[in-house]
Amino acid sequence: MAFLELGERLRQRGQLAAAATVALAGLGHYPAVADAHDLLARIRADQGNDAGAIAAWHATLECDTGHLGARKGLAFIAFRSGEFALAERYLEAAAMGAPHDATILAALDRVRSLPRGSTEDAVRLADPASGVLLFDMQGMRLAGTVADSGDVSVADAVSADAAGLAREATRAARLLGLGAVRHIVLETADARIAVIPVRHDAALLLHRSASTPLGRLLALGGRAAHAAREWLERMQ
Amino acid sequence: MSIAGWQDALREVTGVAGVRGALIISAEDGLVIAETAMDDLATADVAALSAALVSRARRCTAALHATPPESVHLVGERGAVLAVAGPAPLWLVAVARDDAELGRLRLVLRDAAGALH
Repeated sequence: MAFLELGERLRQRGQLAAAATVALAGLGHYPAVADAHDLLARIRADQGNDAGAIAAWHATLECDTGHLGARKGLAFIAFRSGEFALAERYLEAAAMGAPHDATILAALDRVRSLPRGSTEDAVRLADPASGVLLFDMQGMRLAGTVADSGDVSVADAVSADAAGLAREATRAARLLGLGAVRHIVLETADARIAVIPVRHDAALLLHRSASTPLGRLLALGGRAAHAAREWLERMQ
Repeated sequence: MSIAGWQDALREVTGVAGVRGALIISAEDGLVIAETAMDDLATADVAALSAALVSRARRCTAALHATPPESVHLVGERGAVLAVAGPAPLWLVAVARDDAELGRLRLVLRDAAGALH
């Protein structure tokens, strides 16, 4: 698509108004093309219009849930705004799609090394980017979603299977004399997943990239479990 | 790998402080293939329950569109079961007390499971 190339060239030359005109005209014809929304987002970011860039990158992800540029772009905006925990979550999501991308891993290392404010690491269950999924032991989703997809049907399916895993773990722990389950951790080639009981009737799932240290995953899980208990108490 | 090699791998795992036993299981049917364990550890139960756990873990990662699990850790208040995938359908499983060094055990299991090929 020629308008993508033209728009990008104009953006790189600093002709941002002209680049935006080209991108918007292209989007008028091709509203479902993720790269067109991504182009507009980069132009908005260059214009210093963070809200416009975020909206365009969210539109990019609606067209293509795995769009790497959109994840990196959202991380950049969050980083520029000083929201380092949010930047980390977007980079984690990007790393799950490209686990060997050195630029993403380097950015993750950098953002993880930054000092955080006391509220910076707060767990926001309702934030789709948090990658925290809360479900009851019957497998019904209560809140949250998974990091690489805002698709609630995926989150519902994960809730059902994660609850099955949590029930199986509880049964195994009882029969083997392991006591109450503290956590279940799954390591795959591209992800690390923790399932943590919150109460007898609910558990949560954390989904992070394979680059996440296990101790960090469990520390975040502890905070998420605390936030989930408070959330459940407010709901009752 | 020979049966003697498997026993070496199991001994390496049980050499970690706090480990009550180590097993090689078939995750397809939950049976013990080889084991080194304390007398009071019901290894047949461990194998069956670990296989069920691995099966549930696979379903969970599939729902997440992630690759299949390479390790599954179940940590309870009084102990833990750590399972690491070897050559299919084998999994190397360790049962540990609550005072075991799980970080070290995880690494030893990964090395030993890799050597099962």
